[in-house]
Amino acid sequence: MDELFRSYIPNSSPLHRLDPRTKLVSLMVISILVLQAFTFTGLGLFAAFFVLLAYLSGVGTGAFLRSIRPMLMFFAFIFLMHLFLTEGEPIFRIGLVHPTFEGLVLGTVITTRFVLLILFASLLTATTRPSMITNGIERMLRHIPLNRIGLSSFDIATMMSLAIYFVPVLMDNAHQVRYAQISRGLDIRHNMFRGVSTTITPMIRGSLHTADDLATAMESRCYQGKYRTSLFELRMRTVDWCVLCGISCVVFLFSGYANY
Amino acid sequence: MIHINNLSYRYTGGTLALDSVNMSINKGEFVALIGKNGCGKTTLVRHLNALLIPTDGSVSVFGMDTKDTPKVWNIRQAVGMVFQNPQNQFVGTTLEEDVAFGPENLALPQNEIRKRVDMALREVGLLEYKTRAPKTLSGGQMQRAAIAGVLAMEPECIVFDEVTSMLDPESRKMILDTIRQLHHNGKTIIYVTQRIGEILPFAGRIISMDNGRIEFMGTPREYLASVKSHVPAITSLMRKLKAKGFDVRDDVFAVDDAFLEITKACMKGYEEERNTDNG
Repeated sequence: MDELFRSYIPNSSPLHRLDPRTKLVSLMVISILVLQAFTFTGLGLFAAFFVLLAYLSGVGTGAFLRSIRPMLMFFAFIFLMHLFLTEGEPIFRIGLVHPTFEGLVLGTVITTRFVLLILFASLLTATTRPSMITNGIERMLRHIPLNRIGLSSFDIATMMSLAIYFVPVLMDNAHQVRYAQISRGLDIRHNMFRGVSTTITPMIRGSLHTADDLATAMESRCYQGKYRTSLFELRMRTVDWCVLCGISCVVFLFSGYANY
Repeated sequence: MIHINNLSYRYTGGTLALDSVNMSINKGEFVALIGKNGCGKTTLVRHLNALLIPTDGSVSVFGMDTKDTPKVWNIRQAVGMVFQNPQNQFVGTTLEEDVAFGPENLALPQNEIRKRVDMALREVGLLEYKTRAPKTLSGGQMQRAAIAGVLAMEPECIVFDEVTSMLDPESRKMILDTIRQLHHNGKTIIYVTQRIGEILPFAGRIISMDNGRIEFMGTPREYLASVKSHVPAITSLMRKLKAKGFDVRDDVFAVDDAFLEITKACMKGYEEERNTDNG
């Protein structure tokens, strides 16, 4: 889980230098296109595109493998579900279990889609500082009248960056509570879920305490949730507009084909 | 600079945390606020930057009343506050982003924020760590980062609320050195602590609290003269020496002063002995 929050790999590649808004919009568009890909050619095209971008980013393959690893169980589950539950011509039959050829194809396509989604997303997080991502989202949300529901784009950006910092902190707290209980005789060798309820109560109390401290510290540093500036101001350069134009062209091209 | 007038504060639960507190803090002072757990130290200092508003009485900072809501942000800019737990006051994903949090809230232009962040980090000696994630820093480094976060807002006065209580001796010394340097550079310092020994050599004035009231206010020497127990180890040693008949002062709290006193007493004893021998 920690790796998710430490995925940024500093570099000065063309991808690193793009404005985070360009990368966010491109990621959204590519994700939608990938989710609609149905043929191996289509998926192959996206995979090739990913390899090209990954090469351009200068980020080693290790970073991408790390982002895939925690999802392996999920991928396996999706693949097996489709393999066994799709109607069609059976590959073999043992009792009630009969994986089908159609299931094999469908499972591969759907799993590949998810793998590609994760890979493209990890490309964003590997080439963009977390603060730049939140900054980009804030700038895009600024035009939406969120104050009607009592929020501001600054609130949302602050919440996101706090979450990025605090998830690992809360995980550490959880471990501490767990160790404290194990040292007082909690036996988790046979059942790792034992004591979950007794772990959760002190954890929630601890988190509320942390939140209270944090709110005081933020307030004393003049946090008002209103307009604020940033250490990293964003600027769209020509190359950003070119990338967005390119993405629009791709969307236009793909929209011509119903099945790709 | 800061005037507290008949300040009382009652928590919503009903406990009276502060009871008619009166005090003034002048520009450039180094004030140590001491007292037992739960005596009202933290409640008192939280009034200084309008985190708490008096139930009764008033607090004025640079002529601004903390009850005057529109002035709250000016007050918080003028009086910065560093808290006990360094981990719970971090808001950025990297050190420089955290230090930038305050200036960002003041809506300063980007180049000004950059200038202040670098200045503040240089002042606490963490400039080379600026792109590091908070998790990779030690407790002492995190606490210094928290000080930098306050410095970047360029406050006149900084309140330190038991900032060394979670640190190891080495980091504690570094933090104290940083604070002393800040005082030397002209900042007004209010230092809340339970460890009297660590602050006596630096503080210009000691304010001791008990049960929500001010119990004592004066110089460190006057403070030592007024208390029987809970004195720093050095003072306790000097008192014992004096009781044994050594001619030493017992209001000493710094190692160097104690060394001087003891050597002086020894020399005097040695000379007296020689005189009687000769006579």
